[in-house]
Amino acid sequence: MAASNKTSGPQVIDISKLNLEQLTSLKNQLDQELQFFNESLQQLKIAQLKFNESGDCVETITPESKGKVVLVPLTSCMYVPGSIADAEKLLIDVGTGYYVEQDVTGAKDYFTRKVKFVTEQMEKIQKIASEKSRLREVVMDMMEMKLDQQLAVIQQQQGVAKA
Amino acid sequence: MGPEVLQKKLEEEVDSYKKLQKDLSKTTSLRSQLDGQLNENKVVKEELDVINEENVVYKLIGPALIRQDLEEARQNVAKRVDYIQQEIKRHEGTMERLEKESESKRDSITKLQQQMQQILVKQMAK
Repeated sequence: MAASNKTSGPQVIDISKLNLEQLTSLKNQLDQELQFFNESLQQLKIAQLKFNESGDCVETITPESKGKVVLVPLTSCMYVPGSIADAEKLLIDVGTGYYVEQDVTGAKDYFTRKVKFVTEQMEKIQKIASEKSRLREVVMDMMEMKLDQQLAVIQQQQGVAKA
Repeated sequence: MGPEVLQKKLEEEVDSYKKLQKDLSKTTSLRSQLDGQLNENKVVKEELDVINEENVVYKLIGPALIRQDLEEARQNVAKRVDYIQQEIKRHEGTMERLEKESESKRDSITKLQQQMQQILVKQMAK
């Protein structure tokens, strides 16, 4: 979020006035930001998947599920049989150690809301990321131009020295 | 000032500059950690605001789920959000201070380097 403030800040810098060194550090900074955004996107995608999965699981619970036998995982590789005592109430982890008891519709609602929230965040990040990568391209172009200019100056100097 | 004295001073300045940079990156990472916590707490707060009195709220304390009063849980989370916001402000203040300090250090380092160079040039000329 802090990164987006930087570009919209009151200070407008004309990148054609920057020297190569400054451009390089700007490009590195943009690279870092882009990497950060990509990582965040990946994490959000995982979160989205988890919420989707949980939502699907809720769908399978109906009042008829009551009394059905399930295998309860004690560890990741050990299960004990159990039966569903209450198919109407679900406990949802809402974060920071808080759990809320919800009925099936409430739980479904919760997961759809979460998926929507995560998707919105992803869209926001995607927008910023594409802006950043556009900016990065501009900076790269400018760097190339500056390099060409410098090369031309050096060649000219060499030409003068020879003559 | 002789070159040895300058050299020593330069080393000192570089050392303290490095230390400042380390502090700065530490504070920055703490700050972003707080940001994450703030977001998580905000999400929880929103969730607790959405539900009504019929929903039972539990808090995970150690390995056990303890039943909580909804109003109390709301207040707790709100308090935590406030606290984290204060912490963020405090860290931002520290970051600003460190940034200023490291900038002035950078300036003095450049000055010292220039002085060194001048002395070296003079010596070469002799």
